[in-house]
Amino acid sequence: MPTSVCTAKASYKKLPGTLQLTDTHLQWTQDGKSVPSVRVLNADAASLFCSKAGAAQVRMKLALVGDDIGHNFTFTSPQLVALNEREKFKTQLTTIIGRNKGAPDSAAVRLPVSAYTHSASTSVANASPTKLSLSSSKPSTSRAASVSSSDNRATPILTGNDPAQDFRLRKTILLGNPELGALHRELVIGGQITEAEFWEGREHLVLAQAAAESQRKGKPGQLVDPRPETVEGGEVKIRITPQLVHDIFDEYPVVAKAYSDTVPDKLSEEHFWKRYFQSKLFNAHRASIRSSATQHVVKADPIFDKYLEKDDDELEPRRQLTDQVELYVDLAATREDHEETGNGKDVTMQAGRQRGALPLIRKFNEHSERLLNAALGDGPPTKRRRVEDDAQIDLDDLHDPELSTGIILEMQDRQRYFEGRKAANSDDARKNIDFGSIIQEAKTNISQWEADLAQLKLERKPGDAALLSMTQNVAARLDVRSKTNDLPNGFFRQMTTCQTAANEFLRQFWSATYPSGYELSTAVTPAQKAAKATKMIGYLAKTHEKVEAIVRAAQQQGLDANKIEIAMKPILTAVDRALAFHRNKKVSRGS
Amino acid sequence: MKFYIDNLPIIFPYDRIYPEQYAYMCDLKRTLDAEGHCVLEMPSGTGKTVSLLSLIVSYQQFHPARRKLIYCSRTVPEIEKALAELKRLLAYRIECAETEEGKQKERSFTGLGLTSRKNLCIHPEVSKEKKGKVVDARCRDMTNAAVCEKGRADPGSVELCDWHENLGKLEPGSLIPPGISTLADILQYGRDNITCPYFTVRRMLPFVDVIIYSFHYLLDPKVAEQVSKEMTKDAIVVFDEAHNIDNVCIESLSIDLTRPMLDSASRSIGKLGEKIEEIKTTDAAKLQNEYAKLVEGLQDDPQDDEVRDGFMTSPVLPEDLLNEAIPGNIRKAEHFIAFLKRFVEYLKTRMRVLHVVAETPLSFLQHLKDITYIERRPLRPVFSGADCGSALADSFLRFCAERLQSLIRTLELSRLDEHAALQKVSGFATLVSTYEKGFLLILEPFETENATVPNPIFHFTCLDPSLAIKPVFERFSSVVITSGTISPLDMYPKMLQFSPVVQETYPMTLTRNAFLPLVITRGSDQVAISSRFEVRNDPAVVRNFGSILVEYSKIVPDGIVAFFPSYLYMESIVAAWNDMGILNEVWKNKLIFVETPDANETSIALENYRRACDNGRGAVLLSVARGKVSEGIDFDHNYGRAVIMFGVPYQYTESRILKARLEYLRDAYRIRESEFLGFDAMRNAAQCVGRVLRGKTDWGLMVFADKRFARADKRAKLPRWINQYITDTGSNLSTDMALTLSKLFMRTISQNPNENQTGVSLWTLEDIEKAQAKQRAEAMAMEVERQANTMDDEDEFEDGGISDRMLADFDMDGGGWKSLQ
Repeated sequence: MPTSVCTAKASYKKLPGTLQLTDTHLQWTQDGKSVPSVRVLNADAASLFCSKAGAAQVRMKLALVGDDIGHNFTFTSPQLVALNEREKFKTQLTTIIGRNKGAPDSAAVRLPVSAYTHSASTSVANASPTKLSLSSSKPSTSRAASVSSSDNRATPILTGNDPAQDFRLRKTILLGNPELGALHRELVIGGQITEAEFWEGREHLVLAQAAAESQRKGKPGQLVDPRPETVEGGEVKIRITPQLVHDIFDEYPVVAKAYSDTVPDKLSEEHFWKRYFQSKLFNAHRASIRSSATQHVVKADPIFDKYLEKDDDELEPRRQLTDQVELYVDLAATREDHEETGNGKDVTMQAGRQRGALPLIRKFNEHSERLLNAALGDGPPTKRRRVEDDAQIDLDDLHDPELSTGIILEMQDRQRYFEGRKAANSDDARKNIDFGSIIQEAKTNISQWEADLAQLKLERKPGDAALLSMTQNVAARLDVRSKTNDLPNGFFRQMTTCQTAANEFLRQFWSATYPSGYELSTAVTPAQKAAKATKMIGYLAKTHEKVEAIVRAAQQQGLDANKIEIAMKPILTAVDRALAFHRNKKVSRGS
Repeated sequence: MKFYIDNLPIIFPYDRIYPEQYAYMCDLKRTLDAEGHCVLEMPSGTGKTVSLLSLIVSYQQFHPARRKLIYCSRTVPEIEKALAELKRLLAYRIECAETEEGKQKERSFTGLGLTSRKNLCIHPEVSKEKKGKVVDARCRDMTNAAVCEKGRADPGSVELCDWHENLGKLEPGSLIPPGISTLADILQYGRDNITCPYFTVRRMLPFVDVIIYSFHYLLDPKVAEQVSKEMTKDAIVVFDEAHNIDNVCIESLSIDLTRPMLDSASRSIGKLGEKIEEIKTTDAAKLQNEYAKLVEGLQDDPQDDEVRDGFMTSPVLPEDLLNEAIPGNIRKAEHFIAFLKRFVEYLKTRMRVLHVVAETPLSFLQHLKDITYIERRPLRPVFSGADCGSALADSFLRFCAERLQSLIRTLELSRLDEHAALQKVSGFATLVSTYEKGFLLILEPFETENATVPNPIFHFTCLDPSLAIKPVFERFSSVVITSGTISPLDMYPKMLQFSPVVQETYPMTLTRNAFLPLVITRGSDQVAISSRFEVRNDPAVVRNFGSILVEYSKIVPDGIVAFFPSYLYMESIVAAWNDMGILNEVWKNKLIFVETPDANETSIALENYRRACDNGRGAVLLSVARGKVSEGIDFDHNYGRAVIMFGVPYQYTESRILKARLEYLRDAYRIRESEFLGFDAMRNAAQCVGRVLRGKTDWGLMVFADKRFARADKRAKLPRWINQYITDTGSNLSTDMALTLSKLFMRTISQNPNENQTGVSLWTLEDIEKAQAKQRAEAMAMEVERQANTMDDEDEFEDGGISDRMLADFDMDGGGWKSLQ
């Protein structure tokens, strides 16, 4: 039973009941019933709306992801208690919603929030500084570290570390991939191979899933700019949602400070926002140059005016910039390179003449920086004061592509392969020698083409024969095609299962036989591997029986056994090969 | 790779070479051999700097008389990049050298970069100063000869700079180990060894093989006198990114005076006067000495040379300096001060005028003479008569700057930054009395047309860029002027008054179109868009500009850079876009960064912009053509997948200075106003747009959003390597059409380039040899032909060779491409 965070009496669809928030769900149970009739995953909560403070009923509306209508709850306790209760729910849900917004598509991933955010934050933090070093043979080099590559390095290897997490990931994969799921059911649940064996060699799927899940949706880019709507009577209205409050506090710490200073001692929450939106402070925060025009309309406000800062519209920014920037983008260094000479710039080229636009421009830069820092952590990832790598001056396409360290294809009898190539090449070379004679020959060949064409006569009989054979061919193909699907569905599935299972055994066998490319599986000792190979051979040996069983069954059902044999032939060949290999190996080891 | 051009072995630090790089090096070598000047335009991003350095270093190392290389660039980031390229090149050369002796020769090759004290200071306190001027002044106070002498004789009496003192203990010429040091390297070396990086570079100048600094150090007489005096005549001078060189030339001889400056100058004069009175009572001999020295003619103390730079040197060009003793009437310090006072008062009176005045230096001097003559006579009974009066005013003015230097040195003043305004005034006096032609004085009482509060500015403006660069052309045998965008080529020799031996532009050889230039002339609603003054604030135009940004932010990955024609326009349009909700749409797709007035703040925005591009979040950078960002910052690869040029970056045509300059260009060089304005706008547009490419596998979109870009005369002024890829359809598009084309382009360019570039746009060693063999064969053929036909012209051979052949090749490519469309 999940722990309950808060509960309250509330009605839903006019039926009395209890609203309860646990750490995973928000649920509502009608009075007298034991099973909750509304049960919402916390991860599904998208936004929250509350009735006005002065309203007769204390209401709360929760909209869900992909469902804007959501659920309406009315708190039924006496007014004061209800308000209090709702406040509790509000704060809890606001944080949950805030978390959901930061999370990826929350509908797809349902997991305990705490574990989730943890892995996400670490992987993101790790991902940012890793830069992909691309080999110079790559046609178009981009400095942007591609997502997949950085994930591979940065995602912590979850396998084995956290069984619960691992299990969940595997389950998601199996659900997402029905074929794999079927195989899993067949083999693992059927008890033929163990769970660990099944996943061995499939670690990349788990990693990919973990990586996909740890991708967090970034903060949306827009500026926080609540625009008032005008309602009749010249009144303006601004809709305050918990989300907006959260954003405002985030964007303007000074408002958060004012809030903590004044609410609830000096002002009620409602009053606070009302006065804020009428204050000069709000106008200063509005991302509009026109706000300066409304300045005189705005009344002085003794509380908020205290927090008012001077407009940041000087040529030099108010914010102290102590950061040393990389020399390659250091514009100040150029300005200080020599004494200023010459006549002043004309009016249009003097930066910052539009005083009103400056705070706005600064706000853009700071907002962008904040968004970037939210995703990447503070400051440039690796503050390179000195430019060590000269990637910025290098022209990569001027390097020999041969010089890049590619992956050498390992193959048997390499020498012979190249010898063969060489022979072919020298053959070509010999042929190439005499262009003149070839052209000459070709010329003589076509010199009398008109006459030759006139002489060309086709015998009727061979022509007919050819046409007939072609028709037969087409007919045969049509026949085959119409017959292919004549196997009953269930029977066909049986064949497929048999085939995929055998394939899986083969995969296991070979991966146990040959040294693995994955570093991950090095933990397995040779002895274990040998044992596993033997086990797999045991399974594989049974494949023939299984196929025969299928064939027999087919015969009983009056199907064409031949066809099934043909279909299963490749897998049987592969199995035989594995068996032969295993025997030889045993023999060689024995001798 | 190593190959030969004629007999010169070239070491090129890559395995392959672009054909245009090879051609560029051939032409460069021709220039050096001929000891002449050249103008070369090489497409942006095709490795101009590395080709240039590779050839010149090969040339220097091959010829026994090592000609020094003076490499000038525009900005500190570019200086640092050039140094890094050089460092890499030398590392490669050391690796390639076959003998130990050869390796040693490469190792002893030294190259340094010079910038200001502000950028190179590592003194814990001084380096914290924000203003360059203050750093200079404080540094001088701790390092000038008099102070050093005093400090060494009596340790602790004055504050000295340890970093500077340590340098004195070292052998001149070996203040830093040989090799190439970037600015970052030299700072680190200074920190490690407690030596002053700035003076290390200054004192090493005579010993280095390559020096890299900004244009000003060679063109601005105030700086050049100090820094570049010792450069030998046979040095090779390179102006890289020289498309704006005419502006630097003009700036280095122009000066502005404002009323606050004059007030500050008055205060300085007062202080100087007090100081003189004080010294008269305490140390009269000092002034006497100075007087005696001035009688003999100015004799500089060479020891003190290097600390004087900038502040205390003459603002006029070396040949215009008077080689005479300072005239008698201002030899006495108090007399000089009296003159200064009068001169400043005169300027103040002039500034009270409330209408615009434009006059020549001659008429200014005449007026000055008329006014000051009346006042001066009672003071100076010796000089009676108008002629004497004028001679007096004249000589006072011409020697003003020089006399001030002497006085300041005598008085041993500290914190010279406080007297900066006075120095400006004296520089103004000297300039105005030295130059007659090619200059104009403009007094503007109001900042803008509709301003009501006067804020007078006295502009002394140079109109002729050839004046400042003339000494450079005269002094150095080879001057290379090069850039990615320096079209039309013949404009530069005309404006700068020199005759190049080689003048060349190279097309870009591409196996696939790496960039797509598009001209958007109207929005999707068919309203024409333009930054023309009359329509630029029209809501329809603003909205259409905005929708271009929004739409491109949706389809282009990583970084987008947008340029506006001016700060004023950018700032107003950003505000307007925000109010129209356009930026909200952009925020959905990308982060937004904007250039601000503060350089440091902008640098940080730029750094964040790059982070956003690296991270994949993507960002838009809004900045200004001819602004801080447009010069010297590269937007290659993911840092700029699209550049949008909003409007044509014309200069502000109402500017009186610009009008005067246009008039001068027309009268003196027959360059029409519209031609110059168009040329100037297009070179800046091309410069902005050209920064997206680096290397031939990089790609980018170039969007020109203004209906005026569609005109043939405008496009003709773009560098050919851009213009050649503007198709007829691509030159007149609406926003939606442009988007369709852009999407198509990005889809194709993102495919793996499977065609082999080698041999076409990339050459291996064999390809070079093939080209050379072909060239030789052609030359032979021509020789034969010439012998047969004696009537043939002499100089035709000189211009032939590789580039024409490449041209022909290229045209075929272009045609083929067009037919595919």
